[in-house]
Amino acid sequence: MVHIIIKGTKMKKLSLMIIGLGMLLASPMPAFAKVNIFACAPEWGALAKEIGGDKVDIYNASNANQDIHHMRAKPSLLAAMRKADLVICSGASLEIGWLPILLNKAGNNQVQDGGIGSIMASDYVPLLEVMQNVDRSMGHVHPEGNPHVHLDPNNIALVSKVIAERLSEIDSSHSSYYEARQSSFDENWAKAVTQWETQAANLRGANVVVYHKSWTYLLNWLGIQAVASLEPKPGIPPNASHLEKVLQDIQGKNIKGILIAPFENEKGAKWLSEKANIPIIKLPFTVGGNNQATDLKIMFDDTLNRLNNID
Amino acid sequence: MSKKLLLAASAAVLLNMPPALAASDADLEVIKSEIQSMREAYESKIEQLERKVQTLEAQQTTTAQKVEKTQETVAANASSVPATAQRSIRDTSFNPAVGVIINGQYSNFSEEEADIAGFAIGEEAERGDEGFGLEHTELNFSANVDDKFRGSATIALHEHDGDTEVEIEEAFVATTALPAGLEVKAGRFFSELGYLNSHHSHADDFADRPLPNRVFLNGNYGDDGVQVSAVLPTSIYTEIGGGAFRGDDFPAGGADGNDIGAWTAYGRVGGDVGENTSWRLGLSTLQADGISRDGNEDLVNFSGDSSLYIADARAVYAPTGNNAEQEIIFQGEYFIRDEDGTYEDTDAGTGAINYDDSQSGWYAQSIYKFHPQWRVGARYSQLYAGDVPAGLVGSALDDGGHDPWAATAMVDWTNSEFSRIRAQFSREEVANDSDDNQFTLQYIMSLGAHGAHNY
Repeated sequence: MVHIIIKGTKMKKLSLMIIGLGMLLASPMPAFAKVNIFACAPEWGALAKEIGGDKVDIYNASNANQDIHHMRAKPSLLAAMRKADLVICSGASLEIGWLPILLNKAGNNQVQDGGIGSIMASDYVPLLEVMQNVDRSMGHVHPEGNPHVHLDPNNIALVSKVIAERLSEIDSSHSSYYEARQSSFDENWAKAVTQWETQAANLRGANVVVYHKSWTYLLNWLGIQAVASLEPKPGIPPNASHLEKVLQDIQGKNIKGILIAPFENEKGAKWLSEKANIPIIKLPFTVGGNNQATDLKIMFDDTLNRLNNID
Repeated sequence: MSKKLLLAASAAVLLNMPPALAASDADLEVIKSEIQSMREAYESKIEQLERKVQTLEAQQTTTAQKVEKTQETVAANASSVPATAQRSIRDTSFNPAVGVIINGQYSNFSEEEADIAGFAIGEEAERGDEGFGLEHTELNFSANVDDKFRGSATIALHEHDGDTEVEIEEAFVATTALPAGLEVKAGRFFSELGYLNSHHSHADDFADRPLPNRVFLNGNYGDDGVQVSAVLPTSIYTEIGGGAFRGDDFPAGGADGNDIGAWTAYGRVGGDVGENTSWRLGLSTLQADGISRDGNEDLVNFSGDSSLYIADARAVYAPTGNNAEQEIIFQGEYFIRDEDGTYEDTDAGTGAINYDDSQSGWYAQSIYKFHPQWRVGARYSQLYAGDVPAGLVGSALDDGGHDPWAATAMVDWTNSEFSRIRAQFSREEVANDSDDNQFTLQYIMSLGAHGAHNY
């Protein structure tokens, strides 16, 4: 009799364990939990927050001071990727050095390339600087196109729709919430874009010097020309002889300023700024790129203010 | 059923509502003005949308013009490419990513010979060749197999005693679709043991591996087998795993294939301290029982059980918060190996002598990247051989009372992510009468596929 009871409890324990394990495996995203979003960069984290509101938890893999391309697949990122329901990155091989390692190791099927939990922003926007024939002698170019797509606000609007669609699919019980937030974001954003465009009308046709091709989308949107870059080739840091050449090249051209991101070294820009007597314009580049840029809209406000305040 | 009835009834009531219940004139006015305001709101919205469409259209044309322009310049630059190059005839996008590593060097050593006293070592643990030489030339192919598997193969070509040897360093498939943080890897691959073992040498921070990795793992332990790992759903990074192997690569050896010749297990934790510092700690073991391993160019044989335990630590600190500009890396590993069996040194003619003892070793290193293209580094390695049984006195296992050590300094210049040139100086005192000053000039170039930024 006693023996049978023990056997019974054992069976019960075993079946409970099996059920528990089954539940663990079968429901990677229970309805009550928040959607875990892994954002490669702060701009995508901020955009996901606009759409996801309090139904999502955002993990930003980087901050505004980091050059995303050069990051490592560090342990904390792997732990975050393991738990992610949705990954939002720029794509176009910007994160090629570390994102594939995380995806390979994390054991998370949903967020693999092409999966429901994977958004590569550059797949959803018109890309600039798409190369047909590339060679590494051209420096660190991305053949798929320039990956820094977030600085054209029209691209932000395009990606916001994709985020809303995916969130609605992943967390279908809150789909109307996401859709409502997206449409109100879209409406406000469109107004803001019109306002920025009016504000920047007089910038059209201006010339600037850039550090790296980080600003292509911003400049294309506003009709500003990048006449030179401080890097001799993309991904190769500025050196004295190249800076000397840039100084020669910009002689006689009316240059509005030198654009610098928070993660770009100011040394070369300072030298050129003094020699050519043109100002350095330090732009936030992404959310958190300076003390003002606390969300996407303010980041663009701040960017346009800084561009406009130079004469 | 009752709900349906209710619905039908209320519909009937609504349809039969008498017109007398309709609104008064005043109400009508309100409705009219409401409609008017709604119309106004819609019209302004439509106007807004029209403006938006216009700007989008304008942008599209500029984008199209830009793309066209790029294509034109590219076509002009490469006259051999036909103008229709953008329409690929043979689709190569399904080809695996191909990478070639060219790793060459010039070395100069002050000592003729440098045998590490107290240890029987494998081929890769020996000092490199003097003069100009190609270290490893590596060919790597990798791709996703389908939606559930990925694969990678690394073929290494290297020179040893004037012969070119072809070696399959790695050839494995791994899962990508398992849930719960699981990954299964099968084939031949560098096992997760300590820190350096799973890395290819071209990614190292020095021109050679530290002494304990050379002596205990022959550079890398890469055997044929299966490895299962799991990243746990914890807030700090936690990973556990283990593998079962044929037992044919140093420090295992002599596998007859009848059984599992070696197995591994590891556990690691890691995380961040603030935004600028990350760290990882690990423990791992490699167990090879009933092996027959030849060392020192087949002159020394060990038969028996060999158990290796490794503790590893690594921390990376970016002083400015941006590791592309500046970075400081600390890294170290501690090794202890228990061996129970017999050693025989045929060169010294010892015969098979019972051996039951442990050897150990460690290294610690630091790299300072002070400029986006420049790094300096220092490393110290130390080995401790076991006590020598009477029968092995005077053999390769006799360290002569000397604990081998090496101190190394290096400086390297990285032009782009794909090229690196390094100068290294090492002082190695690996035996009583060996005070070796080693100078190495090394270049590591990567062609093709983009390398991984491993932690």
